[in-house]
Amino acid sequence: MDFALNDDQLAVASELDKLAARFDTSPVDFHGFALVSNELDQQLEENGFFELASMDDMGPIAAALATERLARQPYTAEIALSMLLRPMLDINLPRPFAVIENGRPGRFVASAKTLIIIDGDAIGITHPAAAHVEALPDSLYAYPMGRLIGSPDIKPLPAEQAATVRTWLRVACAAEMAGLIKAAIDATVEHLSVRKQFGRPLGTFQALRHRMAECTVLAGGVRNLAFKAAWSGDAGDAALACFHAQDSATRVIYDVHQMSGAMGMTLEMDLHLWTYRMKALLSELGGRGGQSTAVAESCFAEA
Amino acid sequence: MDFAWNSEQQAFRQSVREFLDNNLPDNWEALAHGPGSEAQTSFSREFCGKLAAAGLLIPHWPAAWGGRDADPWTAFILAEEMWMAGEPRGGQYMNVNWIGPTLMKYGSPDQQQTYIPPMANGQTLWCQGFSEPESGSDLASLRTRADRDGDNYKINGQKIWTSYASDADTCFLLARTSPGKGGISIFLIPMDSAGITVRQIPSIIGEGDIHEVFFDDVTVPETARLGEEGQAWEIIRTVLSLERVGIPRFALASRMLQRAVSLLKKAGRYQHSAIEQSARANAACEAARLYSYSIIDQRSKGIEPGPEASAGRFATVNCERLVSEFVVEHVPEALAGEQPMLLAHHQRGIVAGIASGAAEIQLNLIATELLQLPREPR
Repeated sequence: MDFALNDDQLAVASELDKLAARFDTSPVDFHGFALVSNELDQQLEENGFFELASMDDMGPIAAALATERLARQPYTAEIALSMLLRPMLDINLPRPFAVIENGRPGRFVASAKTLIIIDGDAIGITHPAAAHVEALPDSLYAYPMGRLIGSPDIKPLPAEQAATVRTWLRVACAAEMAGLIKAAIDATVEHLSVRKQFGRPLGTFQALRHRMAECTVLAGGVRNLAFKAAWSGDAGDAALACFHAQDSATRVIYDVHQMSGAMGMTLEMDLHLWTYRMKALLSELGGRGGQSTAVAESCFAEA
Repeated sequence: MDFAWNSEQQAFRQSVREFLDNNLPDNWEALAHGPGSEAQTSFSREFCGKLAAAGLLIPHWPAAWGGRDADPWTAFILAEEMWMAGEPRGGQYMNVNWIGPTLMKYGSPDQQQTYIPPMANGQTLWCQGFSEPESGSDLASLRTRADRDGDNYKINGQKIWTSYASDADTCFLLARTSPGKGGISIFLIPMDSAGITVRQIPSIIGEGDIHEVFFDDVTVPETARLGEEGQAWEIIRTVLSLERVGIPRFALASRMLQRAVSLLKKAGRYQHSAIEQSARANAACEAARLYSYSIIDQRSKGIEPGPEASAGRFATVNCERLVSEFVVEHVPEALAGEQPMLLAHHQRGIVAGIASGAAEIQLNLIATELLQLPREPR
């Protein structure tokens, strides 16, 4: 048991920090929702970050660390699935990846080269042509959203591979959510530290301090569970991590917006980038109901 | 980052489980209900003696005091297994966790020779005289006095909510020797000293759990003082550091959750909201477990646990509460008497956020030290 990063993971974290620093501020004239960077995507690709999980000395835990770190940035790209799911299926599959769950619109669908199609208990895979997908304008979710409009050939995945897909989608969701929660808390802490009312910083009021502290405890739990699931690749660990991520996010989203007050309503604070991304992740894989069924099957099988 | 146990740790955990299998009586679960009851205290003395004989009571203590210098992981695996079984060591867990190590650091040679061997043999019970009627989380405001009387001290005052006091042999007592925060000293007081009166307070947690302890002109020699006059705060910091990891309550919570789900399945009622609530409670248990492991990992590397320890404590409170709520909402019949361990967990769960330092104190520490929010005005 060792919670410290090894030398290789530290080196990756350091490189990621350097790369992320170039994407850590939204443009002053940005007043929108989906802040996507093709340059970030290109840099990650060129520097081999999408292959971390399949490297012997790195593995999925390094990919989860990278996913969590990059989710803290205001700029986004299709990162989580390429980091954590693609290597488990076939590292040579074309990216970006996206998921269509029971016919609903999904993140990055319009630009996806590989689509995971979830239809009830069945999971298939397809590589859509441009005519099969379309972008949805004006999405609230702070990701580029798209939907399937055609009928591409979908290759059904055998049960074992489908289970692998579900597990790693859950790990990816938990790792990404961990980064989003951290970024939202960090932004709110900054606001509470400088914004004064009644003559003192908001952060000195116990009613707010305790709520932020509770959010932080949840955030740490989400992070640890996500990394443990990435380490083990276990279906139960993944379901627990994803459940805790989605469950904690519902609480954190409300609290950080409440504490950021009207400032959090503005598009200049960037809080919405993280909270609306969290909202997009809340319903994935069946949401909390879907994860609880998976937890019941995996973690209470012998009860 | 690696979440695997090494072979030595796995073997140690297995040896503790085998010991528990061989030494917990069939009626253990009934005994375990009422953590400070006479029946459990008496059982714990016998059980801790056997643990000591098997080398499983104090493996993390220095060899000079009967241990084998085992690392913090060994101590935590031991605590995890004990707590998962319902803590058959009873109140003696305090001896091995912090009273013994504190005496090793601050005790006089006489104090060490008097008090440490009985702890190492599992034959003595202590209580901690900290809280007072007017002094709980605000420990520095305590009023119990220890006044100089020649070579002795006369102690007067009252402690309250003291666990194990009716069966304890010795009290680790905080008393005031002069005004102010720097005027608190520690005394090691035999509980059979003249002038000590113990009254049990009926409590929701079960028989024998909490007490009032009155000190009326209790005379103790200067040699009963631990460290120097006014050194209590420094010593308490050591105690807190040893205790910061807290008790692995998540281990019993997790086991009780499995049991509750098993009862529900047998009754054909494990469905709908029960499934989601069980997942929530399970995730909270595992989150608390990983917090604790991360803190032990720091300690094993010689790093003093920081505010993350407070986060771990709060996560543990969360998980106990969620498991308790799950049980009472979905298997209320289990609390009617047929499942004494579930009942014991439920009663402990109610007070999870109060014991060993209020959860709100932990939240304040997290806000200040982990989030770096500006401090509250005082």
